[in-house]
Parts: sequence; structure tokens; C-alpha cells
Amino acid sequence: MCPTSLGRVQTRWAILIAPAVIAAIVSAITGNAGWIVLIGVYFVLGVALDSGFYPLVIRWQPPWLTFVLAGGEFVLVFILAHVLKLGLTNLEAIALYWGAWVMAIWTKVALLPLLSLGWIENAGEFRQTGWSVAPEYMPLAVTVFEPHMGAGEAPALVRQFSSVHALPDELRNLPSPSAIRPSPLSRTG
Amino acid sequence: MTAAYPRDSVLAVIGDGLGSLLVHATARYLGFDNRQITVFGPSVNPVGTYQQFAHNLGQTVLRSESESHFLAPDWPTFAQIDAWSRRSPAPLWRSTRRKYNPGVPEILTEATVVQKRMGWEESRVPLRVGWLQREMEPMPHFVLYDEDANFVGRSKHVMLAPGHGPLSFPPVLAKARTDPSLAERIVQAYEPKRYVPGGRYIVLGAGIASVNEWANILDVGGSALALTRNPQPETQDLNVPRCLFESLGIDAYVALPFEQRVRFLGEVLKGTRPDRRQWLERIERGQREGRFAAAVGDIAEIEAGAAGLHVRIDGKSTDIGWLDVTGIVAGTGFNKSVLTIPLLRRIVEFYDLPVDNGRLKLQTNCGVPGLDRPESRLCCMGLIANNVIPHGDTIAGLKFIARRFVSDVARAERLRRRSFPRRLSLQLSMGRDVARALRSVPTTEQLA
Repeated sequence: MCPTSLGRVQTRWAILIAPAVIAAIVSAITGNAGWIVLIGVYFVLGVALDSGFYPLVIRWQPPWLTFVLAGGEFVLVFILAHVLKLGLTNLEAIALYWGAWVMAIWTKVALLPLLSLGWIENAGEFRQTGWSVAPEYMPLAVTVFEPHMGAGEAPALVRQFSSVHALPDELRNLPSPSAIRPSPLSRTG
Repeated sequence: MTAAYPRDSVLAVIGDGLGSLLVHATARYLGFDNRQITVFGPSVNPVGTYQQFAHNLGQTVLRSESESHFLAPDWPTFAQIDAWSRRSPAPLWRSTRRKYNPGVPEILTEATVVQKRMGWEESRVPLRVGWLQREMEPMPHFVLYDEDANFVGRSKHVMLAPGHGPLSFPPVLAKARTDPSLAERIVQAYEPKRYVPGGRYIVLGAGIASVNEWANILDVGGSALALTRNPQPETQDLNVPRCLFESLGIDAYVALPFEQRVRFLGEVLKGTRPDRRQWLERIERGQREGRFAAAVGDIAEIEAGAAGLHVRIDGKSTDIGWLDVTGIVAGTGFNKSVLTIPLLRRIVEFYDLPVDNGRLKLQTNCGVPGLDRPESRLCCMGLIANNVIPHGDTIAGLKFIARRFVSDVARAERLRRRSFPRRLSLQLSMGRDVARALRSVPTTEQLA
């Protein structure tokens, strides 16, 4: 996959929705905002990396790199969680991060390709499944010229063909336009 | 059972190969039913032609990667289905390193499952289309005729998927093939062939077809001289650089003027071949045994000779001169000119379509200029479309075009699309059926 910055950011939004909802529910139940704030930290950090760092160092992203990036982001999120004192134990923060990551990666691998046929081809961007560059349609000459539609006199050729005139002798008994001839075999057979 | 005709449909595919299967599967996935789709072509098997070429080449794995298969969306990937089927993580592990290439028997098995599940045959009219006529009233559509000019149906949208043109030979070889005493000894890589132990063969080209033939010749105990026009072909795993497979690359490519696109294609497609560990081992062994060598040059003359052929080669850097060989194999692919495909030639001539050096100048949406309209599309796929989609003749490229064409049709027809739960359910059941079918297929050895 060759994600663009926009593709990375859009994908990050999409895949963190479900973890954010779950973390919000857990925060509401436990009365500890740390759960949803940690997802927020993960998201902000991810968007910063997606827009300012990854595009500079990664052009084509092989699948194995996903795991490396997840590991790197984990270290950064873990440090930030400590600096910001989110009110989660180490174990809770680790479980939340990797739980969110598993959910996000399933969304990315299985659900997004079903939601949008062109999501991978569109570099992770949620575009309409369409063409990159809008075509310039050309006018079509279905007919070589417009038929005579006026109410006036019929065209000269029509008049010339008209049966009201006597047929000239040189037009009588000309061969038919069809070039199909009986097969020699059908005559003998 | 095939479809009765004349038949009116919303979308028709002219051609009965891989492209037709991908358009059909995508249309069914999005929500069209079989009555709305027609596939025109005499073949009962959409992968039949490909299968024959693969067999002739001795090809065992695809060059494409895990996403290049016949299910409409990108999930599940072929590696995931394979892993599920064999209860083995090996395909997934290879896939994460981009070292997984679907085996030919496996991918053909999947194609058969998709064909049956989606009812491709029920949409097929077993006739070759010989002519299509643009009509504007009462609404824009196409009227289709067979090769005997019989009316076979109408369709609002048409995909032209006629496949490749005829096999291509360099002029010297093409001329020699007209001589009956030489013809049987000059073959195309894609034709059926038989090598004999001790035989001496010249293999032209350095693309994937040629490399396959080097390995095939060495395997039976023959000797292969690889003759190329350029000193060192690039090695890469795909037909074109990776990012060109996606919109990021295609955006940049399509933005180029037509002439620059053609020049670019010439650059990126010149005899590239994937780096396959097993091929390399076989070729290095052949080299050590004195049965494989590579040279740069052109065949200048061919005569009947004691070994079969007496061949003079103009070497670019070394003096090669006359050689006695058992045969020549041309890995030079297909004639890329649209004018070699009868239906396209007729359309080009009748509608006076722009053709440059054998390539139809398509619109940026692969539409046929002048005949294509948003409300009644006439689109191309395959090799004829690679001046818009550089990998247009690969499974990934066919899929890229099929998805966009069918999406255009769905928008034009205001299709009520299949809901997400039904898509998910369809994919799960298709994946399960493919996985079941794969269990009866022996695992193909990976080459990378």
C-alpha cells in the first residue's frame, strides 16, 4: 500500500472510532477519564505522525511495517501517558493500547475494504470508487449530418429518386448490391 | 445453463475471460442481479485461456500478490483464505513480507468457485460479438450483433474485454515461420512446447515468460541461450513499480500526455522479471553445468541446418555469428495493437477513433472517446487500457478498472446497493467456499 498523508489521517479517524466509543463507555462506567483521554492521545499522536513524519520516510508500506509502527507508537503513547499523568495503571494503559490496536487493525484489514471497494487502491483515502482524473467527454458524431427536417422542399436527391419521374433506361436491370453468391457446392450437391 | 438471446441488459461485457469474471463478480457484489448483466463469449470457462497459457509456460505461481484474486473486495486476501484453508500461518507470514504469490491451481480453483457462486454462466450468451452500434434514442445504449451480423441484444453500458491480440514474433522470426521447414522449430513461449534432453535452444527476451522457459529447458536437461536486446533487465516483483498500482501512481500517470504515458510504459515494461529464489537456483546450476548463458544481440538470419536451425546473431558487444540450434523460443508476448482485434478494428475504422502506434487513445476513465457517455458507458479493460491504467492487463489492474466501471454503472442506474451486513455475509461465505475448495488442491510451492 502507498498511503498518502490524507489517506493515513482519514484511515486513522475511521479505525479509532470503535475503540474511542468503547473507551468512552469504560470511562463513564468507572468515572475515570483516563481511558478516553489515552485514546485521544493515541489519536493526536497518530495524526501528527501521519501528517508530519511517515510520509517523509515511508512511500510504499509493506504489511510487516504495520507491526513495527504499532510498536513504535506504543512506546510514544506510553511515555506521553506517563508525562500527562492520565490516571491509568501501566497494565491498564498497555491493555487499552493493544486492545484498541487489535480492534483498529481488524477494522482496517477487514471492514474498510468491504465498506469501500477502492479504499486500498485510493491510498487509504475515502474517495468515491471512481477515476483519478475526470474524463473529457467528446461529442459523438453518430450521424454524419443532420437529416432534412424543414417543412419546405425535399432535397434534390430525393426528388431525383422519386417514382414520379420515368426511370432512365441506364438504371434498369443493374445487378443487385448483394455480393453473396450461391456456393459452387450447393449447385453440384 | 447459458442465457437466452437476444438479451437486453444494463451492463454487458464483450469477452469471456478474467476481466468478465471480475466485472461480473463486482457487479453482483454491489447489488446487480444476473438478469441485469450479460457476458458475451463462447468459452464455458472464464479462466480457460489463461489456464492454457499458464500451462504452456509451465507457470506455477502468479506474479501478482495476495490481493490479486477474484473476490470483489480486498478482504479476505488470498493469503488469508489459503491460511484458513490449510490451517497454516505460512501464507500470512509470507504475505507480510510480500513474498506470497497465489499458486496457479489455487487461483483457478477460486475463480471456479466465484464463477459458480455468482452465476457467471447464467449471464453468459455463448456468442462472440462482432459489432456494436451506438444508439441515442430512446435513451443512450448499444445494440450488439454477432460475427454473422445477427442481432444478439442491447445494453446500456458495455465493457470491452477482448483480451490480448495474437502472439507477437520479431520480423525475422515471423518471416522464418512462413517456411514450413523452419516453422515448427520457432515457437512462442505461450504456445504448447516440448523440450528434449540435450536440445539447444535460444530464448528471446528476459521477461517472466522467458525466464520460465530458461528454467523449463534446464529442467529437462537441455541448454538455453538467453538472447536479449538490452544488457540487463530490471528485476522487480510486479509488472510495474508498486505505487503505480494505486491511485497515487495512477493519478500521476494519467496526468501525463498520451505520448509520455506510452514512452513511460515502454520504460517500465521492458523485460522486467521477478526475482524468484528457485528460478535463480536452477539457472545458476545450469550456468555451472555449462547449459545456460546470456548474450545481447539480435537474430539476423535463420536457415534450416543440421541441428534444425542455422541462426546468425548480430551480437551487440561480442561476436556471436552463426549458431546451430534445436529451436528458438520467443518470449516476446502479444501484439499490442488494437487493430489486431477484429471488433476493435471495425469500431476504430467505423467511428474514426484516435489510434496512435496501435494504441487506442482512451479517456482517463478508460472510456472509448466519442462513444463513451456518463449515462451509457463504453469502457475498455486489459492490455488495450494500459495507456490509462499501466497494469491494466494484470489481475490487480483488471480489478481496478472493473470496480470503477461497475461503480459508474451503479451511479448511473441509481442502484440500490447491497447493505453492509449482506456484503459481510457474502464475503464470509465466499471465503469459506473457496477455502473448502482449496483443501482438495495440493499446495503449490512458493518460488520467492
